[in-house]
Amino acid sequence: MSYLVLARKYRPQSFEDLVGQEHVSRTLANAISSGRVHHAFLFTGARGVGKTSAARIFAKALNCEEGMSPQPCQKCPSCLEITAGQGLDVYEIDGASNTGVDDIRELRDTIRYLPSRSRFKIFIIDEVHMLSINAFNALLKTLEEPPSHAKFIFATTEPHKIPLTILSRCQRFDFRKIALPALIGRLREIARTEEVEISDRSLALVARRGEGSMRDALSTFDQVLAFCGEKVADDEVQGLLGMVDRRLLLEVAEGIVRRDSRRVLDGLRRVDELGHSFRKFCQELVEVFRGLVLVKALEDPGELLEATADELGQLRQLAAEVSLEDLQRAVTLLVKTEAELAGSSFPRLALEMALLRLTHLPPGKEVAVLLRQIEDLGRRLSASASVSSAAPAVQEPEVPVRPEAPQEPGPMLTTETAAAYDVSPPAGQGASVVSDRWPELVRHVRKESPRIGSMLEHGCLVGFDLPRLEVGFAAGSFHLEQMKDAETLQVFQSLAEGFYRQPVKPAILAVDGRSSDGVPPSLAEERRSRETGRKQQLEQEARSHPAVRAAREVLGGEIIEITPIDKEDSREP
Amino acid sequence: MTFANIVGHDRQKDLLRRALESRRLPHAYLFEGPEGVGKRLMALALTRAIFCHEKRGCGDCAACRKVDHHNHPDLHFIEADGGQIKIEQVRVLQKELSYRPLEAEKKVCIVDDADKFNPAAGNALLKTLEEPRDNTLIILLSSRPDMLLSTIRSRCQRLPFSRIERRRLLEVLCEQLELDETEAHILASLAGGSFRKALGKDREFFFRTRRELLKTLTGLTSGSVLPLLEFAEKLAQDKETLPDIIEIFQSFYRDLLLYRHGRPQDELVNIDLLNKIHRVSGAESTSSILGKLAALDTAGRQLNRNVNRQLAVEVLLMRLVA
Repeated sequence: MSYLVLARKYRPQSFEDLVGQEHVSRTLANAISSGRVHHAFLFTGARGVGKTSAARIFAKALNCEEGMSPQPCQKCPSCLEITAGQGLDVYEIDGASNTGVDDIRELRDTIRYLPSRSRFKIFIIDEVHMLSINAFNALLKTLEEPPSHAKFIFATTEPHKIPLTILSRCQRFDFRKIALPALIGRLREIARTEEVEISDRSLALVARRGEGSMRDALSTFDQVLAFCGEKVADDEVQGLLGMVDRRLLLEVAEGIVRRDSRRVLDGLRRVDELGHSFRKFCQELVEVFRGLVLVKALEDPGELLEATADELGQLRQLAAEVSLEDLQRAVTLLVKTEAELAGSSFPRLALEMALLRLTHLPPGKEVAVLLRQIEDLGRRLSASASVSSAAPAVQEPEVPVRPEAPQEPGPMLTTETAAAYDVSPPAGQGASVVSDRWPELVRHVRKESPRIGSMLEHGCLVGFDLPRLEVGFAAGSFHLEQMKDAETLQVFQSLAEGFYRQPVKPAILAVDGRSSDGVPPSLAEERRSRETGRKQQLEQEARSHPAVRAAREVLGGEIIEITPIDKEDSREP
Repeated sequence: MTFANIVGHDRQKDLLRRALESRRLPHAYLFEGPEGVGKRLMALALTRAIFCHEKRGCGDCAACRKVDHHNHPDLHFIEADGGQIKIEQVRVLQKELSYRPLEAEKKVCIVDDADKFNPAAGNALLKTLEEPRDNTLIILLSSRPDMLLSTIRSRCQRLPFSRIERRRLLEVLCEQLELDETEAHILASLAGGSFRKALGKDREFFFRTRRELLKTLTGLTSGSVLPLLEFAEKLAQDKETLPDIIEIFQSFYRDLLLYRHGRPQDELVNIDLLNKIHRVSGAESTSSILGKLAALDTAGRQLNRNVNRQLAVEVLLMRLVA
């Protein structure tokens, strides 16, 4: 007799042994004791949680010679036969190897005959999801109304592959993944029977490797026992399972959190030297960062995080140095990298890249903080805007005009041009002020064609009576000659028509240089005069400024030059 | 092949030996690890140790020789047939395994590339894999264990194989191929811990061509459009070597990255081009190198999906010289 792996040696033989599936065993036991046993069952659930075992135990319970009971005797020939896998009336069929309709026909032929010895003829079809569609359909009638001596038990990991018509004819039991404490408990029991010395920590490592499946955990345990013998040392288990040393993991995580690329690269080098798989390392790194996120987000992660108090302390310490936003970004990138590592031809490079990218990311800002800042800014802006619009009363009538001009370059205006525009309409022009909107037109033209626009700045509006638009330029000036050019005029005309939204006939007139017979000053002149005015005013202010006056009196100074500081600069705090 | 002849994997050897001695050999193993690190050799060594009349895989007895010649009646191989392992092969195996062993104590079945099971075949093996007859050992080999059915994985004892340490690989390369240290270093780094890669690849290509390629690449500037397009055309011509070329470029940019972070020399790959690395890394920033590595990655993935090769290479080069 060769060695039997633990998963087979310790296959549960009674409902009490079946770990973590109490909901199933209780329902089945009650069905038996109350005599309400259905004729078809479907056991589904992940691998290694006890489906096949449950099916066998159930078969035993149904066929026990001591009478149908939730606790089969385990002594009668029937129970012993089933345990040995030789039951005469229990057919265990490999659904994945016997997939065809012919196999089902065979089954239908045998089902008619009474059981040879026991109470029921029991068909256990394992991996039933692999049956062909025809096979399933051939089974339908039999499954709906089988002879009273027949029971069906189907077991599968993939219930979604089973036709609905089959599902509706079965009582379905969903097996759960086995919780970690239950796994550990069972492993401890087995270790005791096998007379193996093993620490709780190692047991937990083995159980965790099982990921909710008893068979996986037992396979791992088998391996541990094969390697370590009767006495299991913690570090041997860790090495055997290919686990990355926790210290190394934390070291790299710390490097990422503190943006220390050197430490991160050193860590990766050690991973390479130790021969760990980079993918595995990345997976465990994701685990560490998940821990950090949990520690950061929750007061007490409790059962969500399977960590010892010591590990928890380390995580807490590290989490205190970093924002939740950063952690989440790290997790996102690591998870993405983990998936990429599977297909990468150069996994070390891929991981190095990802981790370096993490260490070079600028610290993230929480969206909530950013939002608050934006709100703040908005409030401050609106406050200052209301102050500035309230101050000069002259501007008020201009405001409603603005929205009417679609091509208005509004938001891009510098304060200076806005001011130039606001003061520009000369007082004498009366009603036409609003309608001719000369400065606006100039600005519009300037935007479309800077050349013409800058020439218009030197001209002035002599006559305005749409569609007639008379623009005057100083006689003999360069601008006059340029504007008289037919092509330029045509461009100007089309731009002006676009602006006023009606036909315009522009005319260029020569105006006498300095004569002031009702000819308004050009924009350029106006700006010049305003600037000198402003300069004079500034000078005046500067001279009369108390500080300056005091300086002159006390020090006997002399004002040589007064330079206005640029508005933009002076506004800066 | 005995355990002693296999380079590296001391832990795995130890584990198998102990399992043999303590008679705790399971009925199914899954050897998982990168391609070409010696999984199959290990499986054969284990078989020999089981079959050997002397009980130690002597290599001289009849049983050992039969294993070496792959004609032992109790040793069965399953290999992918046309890219897949099919259900007929599994059925044949099941029938084979239902008999008693002829000469040895056990029947051994080695499944190469177990990730190539098609779904029907994989499922058909499940029951056999869970509870085979006594005296059966099934060894599955896979470089991509994640592609296997989880139900198969859970029925096997998993034995992970890691990459061969670079130093170890370096020694073997120096000894067996009589390479000088620099060459061996480059080859070992590019092979990534796999013997099949290190010994099998066209070495000439990796030495001479690599230098030329990197020289041309670093010679390109964002202004040199014509030379760039010509270079792209040249690269795109050979479909077979293109992935290797991309790998070479990756290794170069990785060197730049590590060099910028002040890593020791032996971590770099192209140690014969230190001057170039020094020169180029001065003109790059970490983020620009990362960007270029990402571009290489993208190009590699695109080429896997059968895109227009020349177009992909052109785009790649433009992003590399930008």
